[in-house]
Amino acid sequence: MLSSTRGAPYDIAQQDFDWCAVQVAVQRYIRGRGARHDIADDIAQEVIARLVQLTREQQIASVFALAFRIADNLLMDMHRRESRLSAEIDDDWRSDEPSLDRVLDSRRAIDIFDRCLKRMPQLRREVLMRRRLHQESCRAIGEDLGISAKAVEKHITRGMIDLRRALDHAGIDLVGQD
Amino acid sequence: MGHDMHIRNRQAIDMQAIQWIERLSRPVIDSAAAADFDRWILKDPQHVESYARMSALWQSDGLAAALHDPATRPAASNDDEDACDAPRSRHHLMRRRTVQAVASLCVLLVACIAVPRLLVTDRIFATGHGEMRTVSLPDGSTVRMDGETRIAVRITPWSRHVALERGEAFFDVAHERMRNFTVDTGRAAVSVLGTAFDIERVDADTRVIQVYRGLVSVEAGTGREWRLPAGSGLELSGERVRSLKDVEGDRPDWTSGWYEANDTPVAQLVQRLNRTAPKAVALADPALGELLVTGRFQTGDARGVLDAVAAIHDLHWRETNGRYLLER
Repeated sequence: MLSSTRGAPYDIAQQDFDWCAVQVAVQRYIRGRGARHDIADDIAQEVIARLVQLTREQQIASVFALAFRIADNLLMDMHRRESRLSAEIDDDWRSDEPSLDRVLDSRRAIDIFDRCLKRMPQLRREVLMRRRLHQESCRAIGEDLGISAKAVEKHITRGMIDLRRALDHAGIDLVGQD
Repeated sequence: MGHDMHIRNRQAIDMQAIQWIERLSRPVIDSAAAADFDRWILKDPQHVESYARMSALWQSDGLAAALHDPATRPAASNDDEDACDAPRSRHHLMRRRTVQAVASLCVLLVACIAVPRLLVTDRIFATGHGEMRTVSLPDGSTVRMDGETRIAVRITPWSRHVALERGEAFFDVAHERMRNFTVDTGRAAVSVLGTAFDIERVDADTRVIQVYRGLVSVEAGTGREWRLPAGSGLELSGERVRSLKDVEGDRPDWTSGWYEANDTPVAQLVQRLNRTAPKAVALADPALGELLVTGRFQTGDARGVLDAVAAIHDLHWRETNGRYLLER
């Protein structure tokens, strides 16, 4: 076997990234999404390996945005396989998964979102729905609803803060899952 | 007091994080904004954390479910009742987590081996005259291509992009909540989440888009943008726009060898025939191409179609120099 040299080979020096900083940020990101330490470490390592390969082939505008996106996909693949697998495992193993994603998809979280959305001004709810569900651009939403694109962005920000606060009040803590 | 400061500070960071999530979920990110994002992330570890939490919230299926009209959402079942119960004993939770961790790790190993190393896939698919072909893309979407059609596909971790360079294709798009699926036709770009739609490049100026499932958005530059729900369509021709109704069935007729004309210019029908007909169809006078026809035509039978068109508009056609010529 070749001695393993992980990390960037010399020839990509023109795109000079601080891979250490990226790896730390990715770990923190995955932890922030409620995954365990060991999983975060593994995924972060895989993300870096892929990023290194990508930088060899193309110019990257935002290393972090790309890194987080790759991490999202790896996490999603993991959950997908996991749920496929867990369908075959006995009931006792399922149901109580503590990951943040499952918490946010639970019946209880939906009820909290529901109540919070109902308390919002109709316009804000409409904006969130169009942006998140229908992927409409802020400009298109603004034109339809007769407000500026900036105002649309403000509604999204405000609405998301409200939703997060509703979770806080209900005791669902987005910070720290251990 | 210190606590208040902390809350206010956290909220300010959360707001920035949401703005970034919104900006980065646009189809195109300009390089200045991309660089700003990297700087913002590096500035403070709290930024990453906030970005992660707000992303989880933004992307959650729970939020999507709540945003759907509550009236149309299925009634609450009691299956998940225990999620509302008082916290379980610590011991119980710990045991579950350990089990979970072991399971997750096994899965992660599998995932790393099975996922292809190369993240960006670039491929070109083309069909020849009279050839129909279905291709599967790496994300699980399928594209059914008509004859004389060419597409360039680029799939990256954050985008799915197809350029329809010529011809016509029917897209059945795998649903993904984070990656947009965009089809660029040169004049108009179509974006979707999970849906089925058909796009035809009729000529240099004209694009016909028909939606069979879901919702697509069409952008034709200079701020022109439309949202098309299932059952509708759009014909763009230079500055002119015609909306199409009655898009029926779950896929276009041409995929089974039929073409449904609905006040369609003869030129468009002829172009369609020419993707598959054994001999090229030509118009003796370009003005004939502007005549409109309505009806269902079997595109595999060029002679039959020409008979029908000739009958509708009192025209004639003949075989000459190895092609079919339609004339007055």
